[in-house]
Amino acid sequence: METTDLNLFVRTSEETISDWDRSKIADALIRETLIDRDTADQISLEAEQMIRKSGVKVVTAPLVRELVNAKLIEKGLESTRKMHTRLGMPVYDVDSLILHPNKENANVPHGPEATNLTLAERIKKEYALLCVFSQDVADAHMNGDIHLHDLGFIDRPYCSGQSLEYIKKFGLDLPHSLSMAKPAKHPEVLLAHLIKFAAALQSNFAGAIGWDAINIFFAPYIEGMSDDEVKQFAQMLIFEFSQQAVARGGQAIFSDINVYWEVPKHFEKVPAIGPGGQFTGKTYGEYEKEGQRFAWKLFEVYKEGDGAGRPFFFPKPIVHITEKFFKTQGHMDFLYHISDVAADKGNTYYVFDRGETAKISECCRLSFKLEESDLRDALEPWRMRYCALQNVSLNLPRMAYMAKKDDTKLFNLITERFVLATKAHKEKRAFLEKLLAHGEDGPLALLTMKRDGMPYLRFDRASHLIGMVGLNEMVQVHTGEEMHESKKALKFGLKVMAHMKLLSDKMRRQEGFRIVLEQTPAESTSYRFARLDMRYFSPASGRAVKGDIASGEIYYTNSTHLNVKYPMNPIERVTSEGIFHPLIEAGSISHVWLGESQPYKEALADFVIKTFRNTTSDQIAFSPEFTTCNTCHRTGRGLLDTCSYCGSPDVDGITRITGYFTKVSSWNKGKRGELNDRHRVGEYFAEQKKAANE
Amino acid sequence: MGIVKIFYKDDCPMCPVAKKLGRHLEAENVGVQHYNVETAEGLAEATFYRVMALPTVVVEDEDENGIGEWRGSVPKIEEVLSAVRNA
Repeated sequence: METTDLNLFVRTSEETISDWDRSKIADALIRETLIDRDTADQISLEAEQMIRKSGVKVVTAPLVRELVNAKLIEKGLESTRKMHTRLGMPVYDVDSLILHPNKENANVPHGPEATNLTLAERIKKEYALLCVFSQDVADAHMNGDIHLHDLGFIDRPYCSGQSLEYIKKFGLDLPHSLSMAKPAKHPEVLLAHLIKFAAALQSNFAGAIGWDAINIFFAPYIEGMSDDEVKQFAQMLIFEFSQQAVARGGQAIFSDINVYWEVPKHFEKVPAIGPGGQFTGKTYGEYEKEGQRFAWKLFEVYKEGDGAGRPFFFPKPIVHITEKFFKTQGHMDFLYHISDVAADKGNTYYVFDRGETAKISECCRLSFKLEESDLRDALEPWRMRYCALQNVSLNLPRMAYMAKKDDTKLFNLITERFVLATKAHKEKRAFLEKLLAHGEDGPLALLTMKRDGMPYLRFDRASHLIGMVGLNEMVQVHTGEEMHESKKALKFGLKVMAHMKLLSDKMRRQEGFRIVLEQTPAESTSYRFARLDMRYFSPASGRAVKGDIASGEIYYTNSTHLNVKYPMNPIERVTSEGIFHPLIEAGSISHVWLGESQPYKEALADFVIKTFRNTTSDQIAFSPEFTTCNTCHRTGRGLLDTCSYCGSPDVDGITRITGYFTKVSSWNKGKRGELNDRHRVGEYFAEQKKAANE
Repeated sequence: MGIVKIFYKDDCPMCPVAKKLGRHLEAENVGVQHYNVETAEGLAEATFYRVMALPTVVVEDEDENGIGEWRGSVPKIEEVLSAVRNA
């Protein structure tokens, strides 16, 4: 290759300024693509001529690359261009990113760490769409037919359910860590291990980290502690989790703790692990009282809230309501206790495990029903680690616009999109398998460690989630009625979900891995789909999207939920929404928006019992609203413009966005539109109270 | 006159008996709706009626109020006829 006499300097990506050397263009093309040497030389020559003509004295390496890419396009070498392309962001975007907060995920604060996270996510997202997924999958995501969640975390699984037993038994012995800790002898040390392990896991999963039966597994360490000490310990646990916003990207660890009043049947006879990783000689069934003591104190802490009286955002406490719960002594007192927290602070999630079903819950609403093999694993609970590899959501309303009221077309479109989502799962699976194959020397070292003889991430047990957004609007467009408007419309929605359930069963058999339906939290997806459909499917979409079109605060109703604005009494809503839950294997939830009201704990407890007994709802949560003052640091009820204590306008609203509490100011426009629409049911509980008093 | 809904699937042991019951009811001029839970239509209807065991037989009056149900078992034809005719 001849050298050239062009008097030109190149600012390279290695932060150096080099003399112009055309051969580097051809070398890069040969190295990165499948192009032949002659064409590479020809392209480098043409690129050089272009630069020569422009008369510039200094060029940057990215600019040279783009000029070469332009030449590749001219020659019709599109696949070569793709391999040779560059990932990155325009200066304008980086500038506004550094200066302005991220509104896509309300759990990401604004700061240098958060900016790092967003920058990295942008590049990984582009990489995923270009290199991990096939063109049709990537295009379907880009145009909003489907949504591939957490693309910025393409190189890790989606979310997970964990067991404290692992660190109790094996200590904190992570690959490449600077020190190895033996199993904890003291409760505070175990707690420190738990928090560090959770932070390490956060770096290896995109989303939630859920901890199973936390109060039961801590119980052997709590034995002998006074009530005050247990309270102090509960306080440490909650504050430690809620203040971990120093971890990845300044983002709090999205953490859930599963709490049981009873010792779940599958842990009753399991030998308990105590200090030093040793078996205590007792079973977990014998630690019921200690577990209850810890559960009680945890909720005392939730009730008090943080230093400013605000609800804790994380860890989310998930209480399992089971048949055994109702047979366990003191259950009504505990139900009142956690319902007091629900009414006051809103933290409590009630998960209903009816009959013989045992579940582990995590993420916004994701839960795993324990199968036969899981129940065998329960004998050695450190084996109980679960994960979902990815979540793909389908834009349901769009299919209705396209089907133009033709049933056959509609169901065919659902099938096509479902198959595409399955393809996306296969592609992510293949990509992760490649990363995991590097073992403890690879990027996912933590997930491959084999402290108990098998890889930490049990890949063969992984779930692959398929979610749905806007069933209500799909039904509305297709049948002319929203799901709350008639039994016929509700049944049509059920038929759509039944079709998807049967498809997930069929695909699971066909592909040989677990494909399950999940109610997508859709914190940003319901906004994204609505926005894209306004662009591509107006005017039909304008009649279906919810929210305020003029201000752009538009959204689709989440998952299979009913219109949030429709004034319905909560038991009716929970019953109707609950009809869908048995079809959605990986978990569902109904929200009860309380607004500024604070119902009596007895009213909520009664509501919970009725929901357990009379509906098929999987999970409910009550959401109050708060205003917290940045001037006097006090927190009052309701979403207000000024502080009700000191009158300061420097306030933040706090309530539940999808599956967690956060500041309203960080919400995206779609969610703000939904917040304006939410029908609050404070009055319903006030009337219940009145009726009870009469 | 009530209407009978029968929920079944292809490979459950007692389902053929339920299907046969449906045929006999039809012979008695009773309106019978058959729902195979392995189809979207059938599974949707079964979910709506909270069918957890198969076969299930549900009798409703003209206003869709439930007046009889047998979950996970097959009733005698006389029992169903009596429910239907009292509707």
